[in-house]
Amino acid sequence: MKRGSHDCQSRLPDNTALKQQQLPAYRLQLTATIILSGFFITGVFCLGVGVILLLSAKNIKEVEINYTEKCSDCAKLRENTANFDKECTCSIPFYLPEAMKGDVYMFYKLYGFYQNLYQYVLSRSNSQLMGIDIKDVSNCAPFKNSHNGIPIAPCGAIANSIFNDTIVLSYNLNSSMSIKVPMLRSGISWWTDKYVKFWNPSSQNLSSAFAGTAKPPSWPKPVYELDEEDPENNGFINEDFIVWMRTAAFPTFKKLYRRLSRIQHFTEGLPAGSYSFGITYNFPVTKFQGEKSVVLSTLTWSGGSSLFLGLAYTVTGALTWLAFFAMMAIHLRLKGRKTLFHQE
Amino acid sequence: MMGWRQSLQRTDMSKARTIYLNEPLKNTFCKNSISTAKYSMWSFLPLYLYLQFSKAANAFFLFITILQKRHLADRLVNSKSTIVLRQNAWQVIQWKEVNVGDIVKATNEQFLPADVVLISSSGPQASCYVATSNLDGETNLKIRQALLETAEMQTEKQLSSLSGKIECEGPNCHFNSFTGTLHLNGSSPVPVGPEQVLLRGTQLKNTEWILGIVVYTGLETKFMQNSVKSLLKRSSVEKVTNLQILVLFVLLLVMSLVSCVGGMLWKDKHGVDIWYIMKKEHNTHSFGFDILMFIILYHNLIPISLLVTLEIVKYVQALFINWDEDMHYKANNVYAMARTSNLNEELGQVKYLFSDKTGTLTCNIMTLKKCTIAGIIYGDQSSRSDAGGKKLSQSACSVTEAYEFNDPTLLRNLKNNHPTKACIKEFLTLLCVCHTVVPERDGNNINYQASSPDEAALVKGAKKLGFVFTTRTPYSVTIEAMGEEFTFEILNVLEFSSNRKRMSIIVRTPTGQVRLYCKGADSVIYERLSEDSLFVEETLTHLEYFAKEGLRTLCVAYIDLTEAEYQQWLVKYKEASTVVQDRTQSLEDCYDTIERKFLLLGATAIEDRLQARVPETITSLLKANIRIWVLTGDKQETAINIAYSCKLLSGQMPRIQLNTDSLEATQEVINQSCQDLGTLLGKENDLALIIDGKTLKHALHSEVKKNFLSLALSCRAVLCCRLSPLQKAEIVDLVKKHVKAITLAIGDGANDVGMIQTAHVGVGISGNEGMLATNNSDYTIAQFSYLEKLLLVHGAWNYFRVTKCILYCFYKNVVLYIIELWFAFMNGFSGQIIIDRWCISLYNLVFTSLPPFTLGICEQCCSQESLLRHPQLYTVSQTGDTFNIKVLWIQCVNALVHSFILFWLPTKMLEHDMVLQGGHTTDYLFLGNFIYTYVVVTVCLKAGLETLSWNKFSHLGIWGSIALWLVFFAVYSSLWPTIPISPEMTGQANMVLVCPYFWLGFFIVPFACLIQNVMWKSIRNTCKRTLLEEVREMESSRVQELDLPRDSEKSPRMETANLPKSPSPQPCEVVFRNNSVDLGNPHGYAFSQVEQTEISQEELVRAYDTTKSITMGTVPSALSEAVLE
Repeated sequence: MKRGSHDCQSRLPDNTALKQQQLPAYRLQLTATIILSGFFITGVFCLGVGVILLLSAKNIKEVEINYTEKCSDCAKLRENTANFDKECTCSIPFYLPEAMKGDVYMFYKLYGFYQNLYQYVLSRSNSQLMGIDIKDVSNCAPFKNSHNGIPIAPCGAIANSIFNDTIVLSYNLNSSMSIKVPMLRSGISWWTDKYVKFWNPSSQNLSSAFAGTAKPPSWPKPVYELDEEDPENNGFINEDFIVWMRTAAFPTFKKLYRRLSRIQHFTEGLPAGSYSFGITYNFPVTKFQGEKSVVLSTLTWSGGSSLFLGLAYTVTGALTWLAFFAMMAIHLRLKGRKTLFHQE
Repeated sequence: MMGWRQSLQRTDMSKARTIYLNEPLKNTFCKNSISTAKYSMWSFLPLYLYLQFSKAANAFFLFITILQKRHLADRLVNSKSTIVLRQNAWQVIQWKEVNVGDIVKATNEQFLPADVVLISSSGPQASCYVATSNLDGETNLKIRQALLETAEMQTEKQLSSLSGKIECEGPNCHFNSFTGTLHLNGSSPVPVGPEQVLLRGTQLKNTEWILGIVVYTGLETKFMQNSVKSLLKRSSVEKVTNLQILVLFVLLLVMSLVSCVGGMLWKDKHGVDIWYIMKKEHNTHSFGFDILMFIILYHNLIPISLLVTLEIVKYVQALFINWDEDMHYKANNVYAMARTSNLNEELGQVKYLFSDKTGTLTCNIMTLKKCTIAGIIYGDQSSRSDAGGKKLSQSACSVTEAYEFNDPTLLRNLKNNHPTKACIKEFLTLLCVCHTVVPERDGNNINYQASSPDEAALVKGAKKLGFVFTTRTPYSVTIEAMGEEFTFEILNVLEFSSNRKRMSIIVRTPTGQVRLYCKGADSVIYERLSEDSLFVEETLTHLEYFAKEGLRTLCVAYIDLTEAEYQQWLVKYKEASTVVQDRTQSLEDCYDTIERKFLLLGATAIEDRLQARVPETITSLLKANIRIWVLTGDKQETAINIAYSCKLLSGQMPRIQLNTDSLEATQEVINQSCQDLGTLLGKENDLALIIDGKTLKHALHSEVKKNFLSLALSCRAVLCCRLSPLQKAEIVDLVKKHVKAITLAIGDGANDVGMIQTAHVGVGISGNEGMLATNNSDYTIAQFSYLEKLLLVHGAWNYFRVTKCILYCFYKNVVLYIIELWFAFMNGFSGQIIIDRWCISLYNLVFTSLPPFTLGICEQCCSQESLLRHPQLYTVSQTGDTFNIKVLWIQCVNALVHSFILFWLPTKMLEHDMVLQGGHTTDYLFLGNFIYTYVVVTVCLKAGLETLSWNKFSHLGIWGSIALWLVFFAVYSSLWPTIPISPEMTGQANMVLVCPYFWLGFFIVPFACLIQNVMWKSIRNTCKRTLLEEVREMESSRVQELDLPRDSEKSPRMETANLPKSPSPQPCEVVFRNNSVDLGNPHGYAFSQVEQTEISQEELVRAYDTTKSITMGTVPSALSEAVLE
């Protein structure tokens, strides 16, 4: 059956190893040595990485303050949409026992807000946000047009439900004097979003660019007046807006709100001491049994303070070792049995 | 299923017909064209749709190919040419144009285009020979004889003036029956019987030409009536797969239902309060709408791509079969051919092999191989001495000198006045004289025409030894012995019959001595030996030896008669031959009185040559736990002989022979045998069952069937002899229906078509003249021995490949799409997907499309050499334990666990949202891309774990797929807005690929998934090692020749190997009280010869005179010159 190479029979030129299924192949064989050493090495690796991750996550300072309860008066007020034009502010003092060194980021965090609902995710107009066709609201149901039929800009459920609380962090230099902690509102969105996905319609000024459109129903102000301090940060390219438009995967999510501007007292980060958040409470969450909080955090090379990945590595590493010992035991036992029969 | 039964019934009821001679307009019957294709032009659509629904696979292009191939083969047959009488002249037309009532002319070696009634022929007494092996597998030629009334009709003129009609029964499937009446105008009606009918598919032999009237054409011919309607064959793996798809569909429905209910509960809880999306009118989808939405969402769970993948994989597998050089028959330059790719994996599961004998196991060539003369055995060393002979035997069936009797000792003894010289001379003379062969001079060559291939072999054998039979006249034969001519006067021919098992000739030797030469079965010769007979014991030992070799033996003996004795007997003979009642019986009695007091000369051993490597192949297949049943139309003795020579039967194997002729007797003997077996019934015993067609007819009766089957299944080998084509199909059908195992039928002739079509897998031996078997088969090979490679290598490989491919496709689809279900728990069952739409679509199409192909095409469970060296490995695929619903469930649960890990690990990793430098937060697609990447990696690596043999394509498929996704991801994320698709993906790669968490997860997530599989595999590998793993380990350690146990019992570790029941059967120790069981050594006797025809052998012998030359008309116009005796 075996065709020897000496077989001088005129072989067709295309009669290749491929056609005869004789391609050289490596036969994967799970031998004890390979498996055991593989398990051992992987276990060591996982444990090592896990410990490093855990240690670096431990170094992170994070402060989270849930202000749903603390600002319950405002929350009540917001439950009634009729009160949309009534301003409500609320101040939350807190004490930072240790300094937060390095870059500090401020996030807002929403609980129980489903940004990942099918109808919600769809409800946006990318061509509108690109500034190409300001009146394209076709995908924006149920927030396409205002009551009088004017297309909404920015249209859709996502834009309409933008997080519109204002959070200001103040640092109490001493008991009587507090200063506003300088925060940057730029550089908080993805580069591609800011420079590729979001463009204002071209015109001399923004208000004329958005002429013929209506503001979203929940918004107090039109889109071109989102940032009163920085006119360049208005319209669709407002970074808070851009950040909001990236819909989160989970019903509980954080969004980057501000970055610490490391000047004056804060070149090293946030020093220890007492602080307070001044919150202009606009965003209703109690309606859907949600909550919101504000988070201050530093970051390390791997990210935030989550221990999960570190734990995952450590546990996997430990389990791998466990498996290694178990299999070693089985192997040794069977090897003993094997030599009984096969005199090797 | 029972298409052939229906067709049978249909035709039995068809009405009789009348055929008018030379009046074509009155004869309106079906055309002579045939179609064996599955579809005709008109039935294509409905049948095709049925196939699509039943198979649920899209294989359009493949079927079109097959369809065209079959039609092509049919067209080839339909357009063969033949000669008919039209408008008073001979015309050459195509077969399909032949009509009922046509007068056709066929010449020697031609196949008949339709069923015809013989009018006249070139042979003596208007007789002719036909080879029917294509129809019934019988090796001897059959004699047909025209009616006296028409024997003179030979010229165009005579034929054109022929007027009258033939009345005959309607078309039916019985080869050996025909009733009709010939009404010639101006004479009384004459009955026409089967002796006058030449059937389509038979071949004219030893006859220059014949003329006949066509009575049945095309599909109405007996040959086509015996064909079984093509069935749509589906492999069992495919059936299981369909079931599994159904299971997945149920899973899909369950998932949709769960999601729907979840969605409703969620809406109940949150619905009204979600100010950021819900407006009243958006909350009013109906339940049905939601279910539909979820079905669409999860529909990818059903692996549609699997069906396409499988078709391509199987197509390539078929190509591998077609390309295989080991199955390339160089003599004819014929490659194996897979005519369908549906059944590739079925080849790996064959449990019952039904083989034809003639032309499949044997070459249908007989040669005198050995003989024993005066107690000395000759011709024995030729097989032993030259090692080169073995090499030759690998090559071909072609007649080479090396095969024939070749023993210089014999000639030496003859020339050197060895003491046995006289015996040798007498022996060879007998071979030259005692037969009914007709010599035909062709220049200096002599061709021997014989109805019995055995006799031809003997005469040829004698010729080689210098005893040449040269001339036959009606009353004498002339031989040339060692240069001298001797003429023997033939006094009487004492005919052969299967009852008598011998034939004798009484001659007057050149010296005037009256001598009786006899050849026949050892049993009949030995009981007639004279007490003076010598070498009785030695010859008997030799006979036994021959029989064990599987050679056909004949004893030869002679007796000298005195003139008085002869004359006395002659009177009795003449009396007996004029008896009106029971003439045959009284003749036989009369023969018996003179066939006495024989002097034994010796015995001949004829080899019915096996195809190359048949015994090795059969041994190997038996080791692979394949049961082999030989189904033949030929005689019992020949079948038994072949069974011995191809090592299917071994010396001491008890043989249960069932030869009865009534239902009661059959029932009794079968029940008795079953009782004798007792507890061994149903197990595999070292027994052989031999049954003939007549008994089988009763055995297949519904009452007996069950017992017969269990008896047959308890035997290691089953031989069924004298079967009609339909019976062959019935046996296969019986086993197929009642035993849950895959059957394979292999054959070469038209008589095997039925069983080839009925069996799960039909294999045709190609290279034969009649293409019907190959046209109806699923695979064609040129040699029986190629079956070994086809089953043990291609079959086993393909089985593993296809099942792995299927399981893997299920796995990968479940892994990805169950993730959408997990995500539904996070998004309030709103139907949002976590992964970009295009990525989902391209998952099966691109990023995980290569691994199934490499698994399905390149995977090798172990090397070809190992598979051939250890046929036991076949049992792994044969039992099908690696692919069933249970395995699917395990795989699905595995996929479920993987998808769970693949979703929840990244989810928990990203839940904290602070994973990017610069504090940037992420979105749902960011998570989706994590998950998708990990899925692709895990799934590809899983394919790697499944891959046992990594060649360059496996590497390309696995690493390439992962790399391809990463590259695609990078490109895809920067398309918008240049190309207006997937704005959501914009910038994803920029963020994902720089995220440290992504790379940390890149390692840990697939690892966490696959470590279980690796562990499971290695523990199994250590604790529950199978033969397959044993062999593979040996391969990789390259200690090929180490003591791998060939039989599983030899190794203690094999006991843990969980092998199916050891393939080697236990020796049978049953005490049979049954006289149908033959426990003794085999008798080698076998002889094929026509019996009980209209013309007796004596008449036949008397009819020839080879001294007269016959001018043979080869062109129609020359026909009239043919002279008849």
